[in-house]
Formats: sequence, structure tokens, C-alpha cells
Amino acid sequence: MISVREVSKTYGRFGRRVQALDGVGLEVARGETLGLIGPNGAGKTTLLSCLLGFLRPDRGAITVDGRAPDDLSVRARTGYLPERLGFDRELPGRAFLAFHWRLAGGDPESARTEAEAAADRVGLDREALSRPLRGYSRGMLQRIGLAQALLRDPALLFLDEPASGTDPRGVSLVRDRILEAKSRGATIVLNSHQLPEVERVCDRVAFLDGGRVTKTETLRGTSATRRRGLLRVPAERTSEAAACLAGESLTPRADSDGSLRFVVASDEDMARAVRAVAVAGIPIYEARSSAELEELFATEAAR
Amino acid sequence: MIEMARRLIRQKFGSRGLVVALAVLALMETFGVAHRGVGDGFTIATWGIFILAAGSVSRDVASGALQMILARPIRRTQYLFGRYFGILAAFAIFLFATSLLAFAGVRLAMPSLAADVSPGRLAALAGTTFLSGAFPAAILLFFSTFLPGIADLLGLLMLNLVLHLPASAGSAFARISETARENLLPDVDWSEALGGSGPALAAAGRWVFALTVYLALAAVVFSRRELPYGND
Repeated sequence: MISVREVSKTYGRFGRRVQALDGVGLEVARGETLGLIGPNGAGKTTLLSCLLGFLRPDRGAITVDGRAPDDLSVRARTGYLPERLGFDRELPGRAFLAFHWRLAGGDPESARTEAEAAADRVGLDREALSRPLRGYSRGMLQRIGLAQALLRDPALLFLDEPASGTDPRGVSLVRDRILEAKSRGATIVLNSHQLPEVERVCDRVAFLDGGRVTKTETLRGTSATRRRGLLRVPAERTSEAAACLAGESLTPRADSDGSLRFVVASDEDMARAVRAVAVAGIPIYEARSSAELEELFATEAAR
Repeated sequence: MIEMARRLIRQKFGSRGLVVALAVLALMETFGVAHRGVGDGFTIATWGIFILAAGSVSRDVASGALQMILARPIRRTQYLFGRYFGILAAFAIFLFATSLLAFAGVRLAMPSLAADVSPGRLAALAGTTFLSGAFPAAILLFFSTFLPGIADLLGLLMLNLVLHLPASAGSAFARISETARENLLPDVDWSEALGGSGPALAAAGRWVFALTVYLALAAVVFSRRELPYGND
């Protein structure tokens, strides 16, 4: 478990001090995926740096399974992807991955094969692995960075904007790898501005602003925050569909384009809504439920 | 630590610009040897240590490479001393190549100097140049743990200036300055020290002590250093 207690961090000296973190308190349970969201300058990267032991809090404490974040036993189980991969530019991709495999305590004999297996998992071909990192595009750097973070299947993953600069295929690949890590029980802290992706993979999000956690939202499980449901049906049958939802104790707001928006407490509520409309023989063009993180972001940022 | 040393060697000899700069130094040294014989030792090749050691830690901090390495189960001291031994190993490779080049150059261009430029003589010179280079490398490593970019070179220059300037400022200052210089920047004649000369051996002792102090200071500063990266 990751425990963050009343952590404060100030940068700068004398008259130019900036309070990056101001009494942040958080707990991340083992196997949980936590998303850090917030505007630029909110303190997300500083918090991630503290969680990784790169920065020391001025006040408060951070422990990972009861140990300091820079304890070697913690680091042996850690995978980390920085926002921008700035490693040795002349190093070929394969050598980069093999180097990190050996640093992570992997068998040097199998470094080459493990490097290639890791590259396969992020869709990098052998030809790319032979090229120096300086020839990689931004998306390729993110992919190889993710591959190194996932070496040896770490139990703790710290990802800073993992899908930044990647194409849509890259975004879905990053998502799949995160979900894979999650399914094997890894604890993940994800710092990202891509809210739809955060919503898809995270169990919980913490909203940071001005160095403080101003809100946390649970996205999965029985204590999940109420979500927004949306059904889109033919515009001329909107009122008929609305009646079906009312019959399921849901109170929709209908739009002229045939969209019906309503609050659902769980995925089961959403399934009931879809079933009720489908049973009435009304075609469903679109059905989804979401925590509306964008709305939360806008609300929190406007405070 | 070996992994870190190997990485530094790969970094330095993987950079075309650095290889060209070192090759130029080696060629200049070869011309010098071919012109005047081996004399007191390599002169231009000594500058290779500055090319190899400058910014050895600070550049890793700025690029974020250090943060990626330290997210692994690696102690900061393992990283730091790995860098230092990597610098020394790269310098040794450079001196070996320079010696070979000088040997071949003299044989081809100045056969009359061939007796003076023997393999044994060149090896001894490379050895003393290596020992002379190990000291500024430690100072550069120390400055690189907290100064950005290649400001460690500036740090080394300033240290030299500070310890040499007071000599002209009065006798009291001169004495203090000389004592400080003897202990912080000991000048060792390695050929004499290795030959068993008493004063040179005493200077070598101060050299070992000062080198240890610089490395220990580097370790203390680096282990306490914070490593910010990116923007919030």
C-alpha cells in the first residue's frame, strides 16, 4: 500500500518560493489504479517525484508497504515511465531495454530475448530495436519507455503521461498494457491529462489543484461515485424511451437529437436501462455510462 | 557499478563528436612526441580527461536518465562511483590508443626517435598521465553532483584560481594558499613517486587523501541531492 500523509513540498529559495504540494494526503491500496488529474502546475509531477523518492517532502511522510520510497526493496518492484524519455540518444532500443533489464535484476544471459519480448508487447519491431533512440519518433519513445517500465512485471507502476504523443493505436496499446498490469494485481499510479483513458483504466482519481487534493472520485466497485448514463435513440421516439426509463425509476433528461441523459448508481442500472428500451423495440444508436471526468475537471478547476 | 561504468564508456565512445575531439588530441600528442620525443610525459592527452569527465552526472540529471536509473534497485553511490570508474576506464582506453598511435607515428615518421619512444617508456608515460588525470576527474565528479551542465569545468577552474591567486596577495595569504594548494590540489611527480623519492611519496600520500575526500564529498552531496524532473 502507498501511504501519503500530509505531504508538503516547496521549491525555490528566499523570495521565490513556490508551494508545489500543500498537505497532500492519499492512500493507494494494493492492486488499485489511481489516476492523478489536475491542471498544469497542480503538483502532479512533484507528487509522483516524491512517490518515487526523487524529491523529499518538506513535511509529512510517504511510505510504500511501510518502507521509504527509495528503499531498494521497493525499487526492485517498481516500474517507472517518465513523461519524456531522455535516455542516451545513441543507444539502440535493444541495448536500452537490455540495460534496464539488467538494472532491474534480470538475468544478464536472457537480457536480449527479454528486451525483444518487451518490445513485442508494445508493438516495436526488430528493425526499430536496432536503431538508436535518437531516430525514434515521440510515440516510439513512449512505447519503448513503457516497455522498460513493464520489464519484470513490476508490482508498482508509476506512469507519467504514458500515452502522450502516441497515435490512436498507441493510446489503445498503452491502455491494454495498463489493464494487463492491473489484472495481474499491480498497484498503479497514473498521471495523465487524457481523461477518457484515465476513466477507462483507473479505479479512483485524485484531483490536484494548487498542490492540494481537492477531490477524489471512486470509479469502480461498490462505492463508485454515481455515473452519467447516456442512451441515444431515434429522435421521434425519445419520449417513448424516456417513459421506459421512468419505469425503471430513472429520471432522464431528453435532448432534441434523441439523447437521454440520466444518473446511474451502478453498471447494473445502466444494463436495466438498455434492456427496458430494447424490450420496447426502440433502436439504440448509442449507450454508455461514464464518470464525466471532464465535467469534474472543469468544476474543480473553476473553484 | 560495472553496469554504470560500461554505460559511461558506451556513452563517450558512442558520441561521434567526443570521438573526433579525442582523436584530435591523440593526433596532436602524436605529432608532439614525434617532434620532441616523449620528454616528461604526455601533455595534450591529459586534456582528454576534461572531455571525458565534464558533466558526467549533471547531464544525466538534466535529461532525466538518472531518474530512470534510480527508479531501479541501484544505490546512488553505485551510480556515482560507477561513473567515476567509467571515466577512468575511458581515459585508460584513450591513453592506450594515444600510445599506440604515438608508437606507430614515431616509427613511421621519425625513426631516429624510435629508441627513445619504446613501448615500455610509452606505457610508463601513459600510466603517470592516467594518475594525473584521475585527480581532476574526481573534482569534476564532485562539482557535477550539484552544478548544472558542464559548469563543473568552471568549478575546477575557480578552485584552481582561488588556490593560486592569494600567492601574490601577501606572505600570510601565500602561506595559507600554499598549504591549501598542497592539500587540496597536490602536485605529484609520479615518475619520482613511483621511483620511491621521499618528497614525491609524501605528495602522493596527500594526493590519495585529497582524492578520497573529493569522492567522499561527491557521495555525500549526491546522496542528499533532490532530483526534480518534468513540469507539473
